[in-house]
This record gives sequence, C-alpha cells and structure tokens, in this order.
Amino acid sequence: MEKSGKTVSRREFFRKFGKQVGGVGVGAFLVQVARPSLAAANSLKKYGMVIDTNRCIGCHGCTIACISENNVPDGHYRSWVKIMNKGSYPNVSTHFLPRLCNNCEDAPCLNLCPTGATYRTHEDGVVHVDRQICVGCRICVVACPYGSRFVNPITHTADKCDFCYHRITRGLQPACVDACTGRARIFGDMNDPESDVSRYLENHSTQRLRADLDTRPKVHYVNADEYIMGPDYSRLLAGRSS
Amino acid sequence: MNENIQYIYFIQHGVALGYLIAWYLWLISLAEGTHIVAHLSWLYYRTEDYRPLEKVGTFQPFIILALVPLFLVADLGHPERFYTMFYNWHWTSPVAYGVYIITLCMISYAIHAYYLFRPELIHRARQEGPLQGLYRLAVFNQVESGDIREIRDRQERGERFWAGVSLLFSFLGLIYLGILLSSFKGRVMWHSSVMVFIFFSFGACSGSAFLILLTHLKNALVHTPPKALAEQQRYLAEFGIILKYALVAQAGVFFIYFVLLQYTGIGGRLASKVFFTGPRAFQFWFFQVAIGLILPFALMLYKKMRENVVVSCIAAVAAMVGTLFGCVNIFIGGQMLPMTSFRWEHLEPEPGRMTFGIITMVLMFVVFLVTYKILPYENIEVQEGVSS
Repeated sequence: MEKSGKTVSRREFFRKFGKQVGGVGVGAFLVQVARPSLAAANSLKKYGMVIDTNRCIGCHGCTIACISENNVPDGHYRSWVKIMNKGSYPNVSTHFLPRLCNNCEDAPCLNLCPTGATYRTHEDGVVHVDRQICVGCRICVVACPYGSRFVNPITHTADKCDFCYHRITRGLQPACVDACTGRARIFGDMNDPESDVSRYLENHSTQRLRADLDTRPKVHYVNADEYIMGPDYSRLLAGRSS
Repeated sequence: MNENIQYIYFIQHGVALGYLIAWYLWLISLAEGTHIVAHLSWLYYRTEDYRPLEKVGTFQPFIILALVPLFLVADLGHPERFYTMFYNWHWTSPVAYGVYIITLCMISYAIHAYYLFRPELIHRARQEGPLQGLYRLAVFNQVESGDIREIRDRQERGERFWAGVSLLFSFLGLIYLGILLSSFKGRVMWHSSVMVFIFFSFGACSGSAFLILLTHLKNALVHTPPKALAEQQRYLAEFGIILKYALVAQAGVFFIYFVLLQYTGIGGRLASKVFFTGPRAFQFWFFQVAIGLILPFALMLYKKMRENVVVSCIAAVAAMVGTLFGCVNIFIGGQMLPMTSFRWEHLEPEPGRMTFGIITMVLMFVVFLVTYKILPYENIEVQEGVSS
C-alpha cells in the first residue's frame, strides 16, 4: 500500500477535526440562543381580541362574514368555530370555541418563514403575509401550532387572518366582530388602557391556546372549556379516533 | 380525559408537506453522509489506492445535491420565485441558512471533485481519443506538463483545502437538517434535541451504504485493474464495519429519542404511538426496523459476508431503504399529529409529485451511470503499472 506524499498525522487530523466540529457546534448554539430574543414585538399598538365563549352561540356567522369579506376559497377558513358536546344525558353541555389566527407576539410562522414574506407591522403588531414575496413553501402552515394557516389555492401563497387589516386601519372592526350575533368578540388596542379590550382584560381572567409554547397569542378566551382548547390526544392514545 | 366528549364541528388540517420534502431531506442526508464517510475514511487510510473511492464519495453526492433542489422547487406554490430565497433572506429561519449551506456544499463538492479528477483528466486530455475535447474542456484547456504524480503533488494543497471545506459544509448540512425540524416548536415529534443526532445517524448509515453500493456498481461497469480491485474490496469490507456500527448508533439514537418522547407529556407519548401502533407503524416496524436495521446488521455481522459483493449490496440497499423510511416516518408522521381535532391528519395522495420525484431519482441514477463511463475514476498510474 503506497502512502501519499504529504499527509497529516492522526493526532493532527483529530485536532483539526475537533476544532471544526467544535466551531460548528458553538455557531449552531449561538444561533439557537439568539432566536427567541429577536421575536419580541415592540409595536406601538397591540391589536388583540377577547372572545367570551359563554356568549358564543355557534351560529358560524363569523365564519361566513370572514369568507365573504376576505374572499376565502371554498374548503378553507381564516375563522371557524369548533363545537363540542360534553357529558351524558341529562348532564350535557355544548361548548364553542371560535378559532382564528392568534397573531402571536412570538409567532413561530414568522420566525420560520425563509423569505420574510410573513412579517409583523411595527405600528400594530399584526402578522401579515406578503403575497408578492411568499414562495408557497408551506413551512409556516406546518409551523403554526394552531392550524390557522393554509395555502390559498388561487394565489398559491400562505393565507391567514390578519384581523381584517383593510378594515381596522380605517377605524372599522374586523368582519367577524361585526357579524357576531352574541357580541362575544371584543377587538381593540391592548396597549391602550382606555380601549374596551384592555378594560375587559383587566377585569376578567382569560385563557390562551397552547400557553405552554410561549408564543404569546393575542387572542384571549373567557370561560372556554379546557377540553375544547387543544387537540384531543387522549382519545388517540386510547385508540379511539372516531 | 374521562368525560364523554363528542365533537360536533371541527376542521382537519391535513399533512401540508408531503413525500417530496421527505425525500429532499433524505437525499441531502444521504449525499452529506456519503461525503463524510468517504472523506473521513480517506483521512484514515491516506493511500493512493483509496482515491477512486474518494472520487465516488465526492462526485456522486455532488450530482445528488445538484438535482435535489428540484424536489423543493416542485413542491413550492410559486416555483418561479425559488431564486428569491437567496436574496429575500430571513435570518431567523433555518431554511434561509439551508439554502446557502446546501448550495455552498454543492459548490465545494464540485471543486473538490474537480481536484480529485484533474490529474487523470489532464492525462486523458493529452491522449488522442473521441472524448479528448471533453477532457480538455473539463480542465479548462490547461493541460499541465509532468506525470500524474507530479500534478497531484502540485495541486495537493488545493485539493486538501477543498476537501476540508466540503467536509465542513457536509457537517453543517446535517446539523441544518436537525435544527430545521427541531425548530418547529409546535410539532412535538420534531421539537427534540435528538433530531440533529438522528440525521447524523441517517447520514452515517445511508452514506456508508451508498458508498458500498456505488463502488460495487462502479467496479461492475468500469474496468478496474485486479490489484486495485482487490484493494477496493478490502476498503468496502471495512465500510461494512462502519455500516454495522452506524446501524447500532442509529438504533441507539432512536432508543434515546423514544425515551425522551415518553417524558414529553401526552403529545410525546402520542408521537411514539405514531411509530409503534399508529398510522406509521407498518412503515416503522417493517421498513425501518426489520429491513433497515436488523437485516443489514445481520448481513454485515461477519467478515465473510461483508466481503461478499451480493450480500454487501443487499445490506446497503436495505440500510438505505431503512433510512429513507426513517426520514419519511419522522417527517410525515410528525405532521399527522392533530393540531385542533382528535383524528390523525391525513396526507392527500400526490401522484403527480410522486411521479416527478421518482423520475428525478431515476435521472440521478442515469447520471451516475453515465459519469462512470466518461470520468476517469481509477488511478491511471495503477493501470499503467499493470499494463507495463
């Protein structure tokens, strides 16, 4: 076996190899450490919503209003209502959970978007999708822990609720808020202490979806049943999927 | 949850990213694993006889990395905007880094492969023949003087530099794959510190398997002098040892992964169930464990079996099938956990995309075969030595 002319010793090889792997490891660690800090939104306004589930009657008026206001394609929803029955006769209760994009302060969809097509407006903290930049990679769809995103089959770009941005910037309420039969939704600037939403938040205890993920959702719920708040993993674990 | 719950209205979200992206991840881990195994082995052996294997382990991954973006492009809603990912760069996204890492990885493989082939290409460019023009073009018409050994000595520094750079990018690529999946904090199956090690184990297994398979294929298609052939068979038998231990490492990493999932709450336990008894159970137990781990391990256990060409090729294919299904199980299975409902999310059939993926993989294989016929994989001085 013929050795090549200029070779490195094994000791030297392991030393160089160790340095390279160490350098890569430290770099990867620093990137991971730096990521959460940059997600904090320091917007001037902070638009958010409170939904009192006791006032929701499950009429799907918000869903219809959203579809017509935003031209949402068939089979896709920016806003929808999850409905669940709990208990056995005669102790049965029906629960409603209106769902929409939480416009999180630390939005996973925003952090993972490779092109920056998902962005947050500095003025009000609303999370948007720039359709001119979005490549339709669907990473944000997978990243959203709330299932609030979809790929619009017409534009082939990511789509989601933006609190009807075209309305709120003109001083109107989002379409779902206007259409809500039971007046279950309160929308406004959570940084303004005089706003309805701030006053409501001050006087009520609220819940947020998947609080364990620390995404800081800006949609708050009041009196939502704990079983309807998330996916029902216990049923799947027990082998009951229908 | 002991309450009697009945869901009246809910929405299923489906599996958003399908087989093309799963294959994309697998092919990247395969290419980078192949290069790492090939190059680290060169550093271990450091012999001239090993150069043909290093060429295989550098040029074939380059072909994979050159074609693999097609999987990503085909899966985009706006394929025509693919190039915008290079300048619409969002620094918090792992994919934004990945686009550059994979591109730079591919370029470094190309340059490294160029240096590896260059002495033999220059030699061929000097000789009259039907492909002389092609070889001249490949060396940019710079036909240096001196014999092959002198050319190698002159370029050794550049060759080793690019080998180091390509090795660095290979490691970065595997780290990228792991960080990419683990950064989805809403996906309990992916959001794991073990994900980087899973891709390292996939890379080691599929890389050593691919190198065994490709080199046997090369030896079947290209005339290799008997002495060099015997030497390469010895290396390939030793790659069988690497494959064997890589399989053990993969099993160990998956064991740790499942133990960690058990301590990640109900979501983690459900994620384990996806593999053990859930919707990916057959793919996990049959393809990933039986075909992908146990079979190749058994085949690579004894020296005589490692030295047998047919047995080692079967083990290599089995190990590659195992890592492919491992990648698909994690990627598709991770999206099957429901986000708002109580049912497994389903992957809609993607016949068009599947066909595209299969055609692209066949295309890669054809390119491999064509390059075997055109490029000088064997050391020419060895051939000369034999002929003289």
